[in-house]
Amino acid sequence: MQAGGIKLSLGIYTMLFLVFLYAPMVVLAILSFQTGPEGGPQFPIIEWSTYWYRHLFGLTPPSRIAPLPINEALVRSLVLSVMTMVVSTVLGVTSAQAFRRRFTGSGIIFYLIVLGMMVPGVLVGLGMALVANALGIDRHWWGTAFVLHVVYTYPFAFLVMLAILNRFDQSVEEASWSLGVSPARTFRKVTFPLIFPGVLSAMLFAFTLSYDEFSRTLFASGRDLTLPLAIYGTFSVEVHPNVFAFGVLTTIFSFALLGVYAILMMLSIRRAKRIAIQEEA
Amino acid sequence: MSISATAADTKAVAKPVRRTSAKTVWLLAPGVVWMFLFLVTPILMMIYVSFWTQTTFKITPALTVQSWVTFFTTDTYLSALWTTVRIWLIVLASTLIVGYPAALYVGLFVKNKTVQTALLVLCVIPFWTSFLIRVLAWRPMLGKEGAINLILQGLGVIDHPIEVLLFSELSVIIGMTQIYCVFMVGPIAFMMGRIDQSVIEAAQDLGAGFWRIFRTIILPLTMPGVVVGAIFVSVMVLGEFATAAALSGRKVNLLGNIIVTQVGSLKWAFAAVVGVVLTVLMGIVVAALLRVVDLRKEL
Repeated sequence: MQAGGIKLSLGIYTMLFLVFLYAPMVVLAILSFQTGPEGGPQFPIIEWSTYWYRHLFGLTPPSRIAPLPINEALVRSLVLSVMTMVVSTVLGVTSAQAFRRRFTGSGIIFYLIVLGMMVPGVLVGLGMALVANALGIDRHWWGTAFVLHVVYTYPFAFLVMLAILNRFDQSVEEASWSLGVSPARTFRKVTFPLIFPGVLSAMLFAFTLSYDEFSRTLFASGRDLTLPLAIYGTFSVEVHPNVFAFGVLTTIFSFALLGVYAILMMLSIRRAKRIAIQEEA
Repeated sequence: MSISATAADTKAVAKPVRRTSAKTVWLLAPGVVWMFLFLVTPILMMIYVSFWTQTTFKITPALTVQSWVTFFTTDTYLSALWTTVRIWLIVLASTLIVGYPAALYVGLFVKNKTVQTALLVLCVIPFWTSFLIRVLAWRPMLGKEGAINLILQGLGVIDHPIEVLLFSELSVIIGMTQIYCVFMVGPIAFMMGRIDQSVIEAAQDLGAGFWRIFRTIILPLTMPGVVVGAIFVSVMVLGEFATAAALSGRKVNLLGNIIVTQVGSLKWAFAAVVGVVLTVLMGIVVAALLRVVDLRKEL
């Protein structure tokens, strides 16, 4: 039948599409096991080895290929991501909380917040550098770059929280208030457990986006490099398989993060179910 | 200037809702102030500085249109503008052509919800990994001794490696298509999922073939998804410079690359001009896309 033929060919197409999405990363992963220091970033694999991984951690004898400057950059990137995650999640939760009530001007404020994720990094980065120059402020990754990271990730946190808050039943909170529980305690004991999956997602978004963010950081961070800036630095010079090895490790780190998220999510769902069963009994 | 504007705005917000007003204002204030200080102010500053006077290594706040005149009278910059528009249009088309059939299959033909979710997750996972690494991963794929050339030579399709694959406009387009097509597939697949199956079944019962159903039902109903995807892709491609820096071997200069070079040589006022041009271009593109489909009505 005609429809069957179309379904089959679209299915094959989708498989090819996934190959297109994943092939470069697979090739990169294979080439990261090239022998060193003489093996280049291309096929054939002269000999399988973990040389470039050891090179990354400074465990190989010195060679003409300089190690990637990632030690301090890694620490900076992690600190920056955690700072961004905390601030943008707090901002996202409070703003989304405000949006549960209708108010005039909500449309404009909504667009103002969403604008943060739409405006390209190179523009805000440039603008922030100009502001800093005009005010005579030094640019640092923990200052000018940090505030831009929040501008970028806070809209994601806000949208996630908005979606979660729109779904849950307000009468639970009202019941708590009418029983004389203080608003702060209600938030801690009733609201927060309900919105926890959203908070977790917002945190994951903020952390990952900040950890990978680079165009905003480029102009706003001054002298000290973050991890993506260190990688960007290799673009202009010859690429060696040590960058590939780093790519594999950072991808594994991203997946590990996703794994932690999945586990926490599952625990929270299981807890919610257990409470529901207790209430029924 | 911007701070007083914030205060005025939040006051305007507060008035109509009497009892909850104070609380709403306090909840909103941190985020709104943050966005005004660190998003609106920098953009306004960029516009302002584009009219400053540029000397060799510094800028002075004496207003002039000199940088603007330079931009619109220099071939290098005008050709960068044209390259940006051209690459944007090509990538927009290629993400749509590459992404639409996949979204069609996942959203409409896969009936099993678990398989559908798994396929969508597979499409989104690359977005989760480092952008720069994904760009860099195309180098060993496309190079003269890269995987694609090796495979094609091994199969006997070509005798000599195709050199145009890397460090050309083509490599930039291939790289951008792979990186950004996720943003096309997502919204389109979402709209596919919302199509009422009984409409398609009714059309089938009335004897419509697949192409007729596609043209008259599926395509119009997924247009909002296409527009949302196009907005995502457009905004990201227009603001790009890293892919061109990594894969074109300095042959492709987008407006973003010009900004990076100008900042590198401390030509701040000029970089600001390019930034404003880019902002205006983006505004026009997004406004035009929103004209095509009224999103509020469709979603």
